[in-house]
Amino acid sequence: MKQWFLELPGPMILKIVVAVVVVIVAIVALFFFYDWIGTNMLDSGGTIG
Amino acid sequence: MVEPTSAPVERPASRSTGILTRVVRVVGWTSIVVGVLILGFVVQQLFVTTWFSQQHQAALDVEAEEHFVTADVTEVEYVPPPSTTTPGEGTVAPDGTVTPGAGGSSTDEGAPLNPEKRTLLVESSPEDGKAFAVIRIPSIERLEEGWAVVEGVELRNLKNGAGHMPHTPLPGLPGNSVISGHRTTYGAPFHEIGDLVPGDTIEVDTAIGTHTYEVREVIVVRPTELWVTEPREGAWLTLTTCHPKFSARQRLIVFAELVEGPNWEAIYA
Repeated sequence: MKQWFLELPGPMILKIVVAVVVVIVAIVALFFFYDWIGTNMLDSGGTIG
Repeated sequence: MVEPTSAPVERPASRSTGILTRVVRVVGWTSIVVGVLILGFVVQQLFVTTWFSQQHQAALDVEAEEHFVTADVTEVEYVPPPSTTTPGEGTVAPDGTVTPGAGGSSTDEGAPLNPEKRTLLVESSPEDGKAFAVIRIPSIERLEEGWAVVEGVELRNLKNGAGHMPHTPLPGLPGNSVISGHRTTYGAPFHEIGDLVPGDTIEVDTAIGTHTYEVREVIVVRPTELWVTEPREGAWLTLTTCHPKFSARQRLIVFAELVEGPNWEAIYA
């Protein structure tokens, strides 16, 4: 993880910004993925048909 | 002459020990990552979705109250279907269109059973996604205070509250009004409806008034069994949710019949 961070391009401030953006995008993507799994397997809302 | 002592030489780790260490490290990190992902899934499904739903419910309660005041409530003529009719006849569409039973109000022998015309209160159709009713089940703590019902059963609708299936009558009208809701996520409004037994009451507030239903039957069906949504003789409320808990494999169905309300007399008397 540390190595990945250090290999990011640009100065330190840019590395931090890029890292924060990547983490936020990953969390949002994960949220939608969880929602998709939950809707299809755990609880679809009980609709018929 | 004494030879200088050399620094202690570390013995190189054997090859097999190095591989074992690497395997243990990979397995350990993989377990940690998978564990965190699973924990995140549980937290997101049980708590985050419920938090979102609760935020929406507060707004939907206000929306439903506004709907009760602003909705157009009209009186329409209603001819009850003869008792020999098959289910599906004599229904009132949400837009107020009354469809009496085939052959009017007479039996096969031509003898009128319900010759008198009655007046039915009908409210205007709610817009998709709008809260138009509040469902209350006194015997279930979660639904004691009521839960807003929105129009539509798309995923986006059910994330906010219980959803009324379009093309089925609104609650309080003749036929079979169908309401679906989550059982374990998004506030889980129907989490405990499996505990309902025949005789329990379900109340639904609409712009017309409060309609009281009495549970008649609780069954489990496959998600594709559309017959549970088909029209019925009289005025019915059908609740549908996932079954068993934490699985979308089957559906739990609660059939309840209207026993009290502004339209009860017109439908049953």
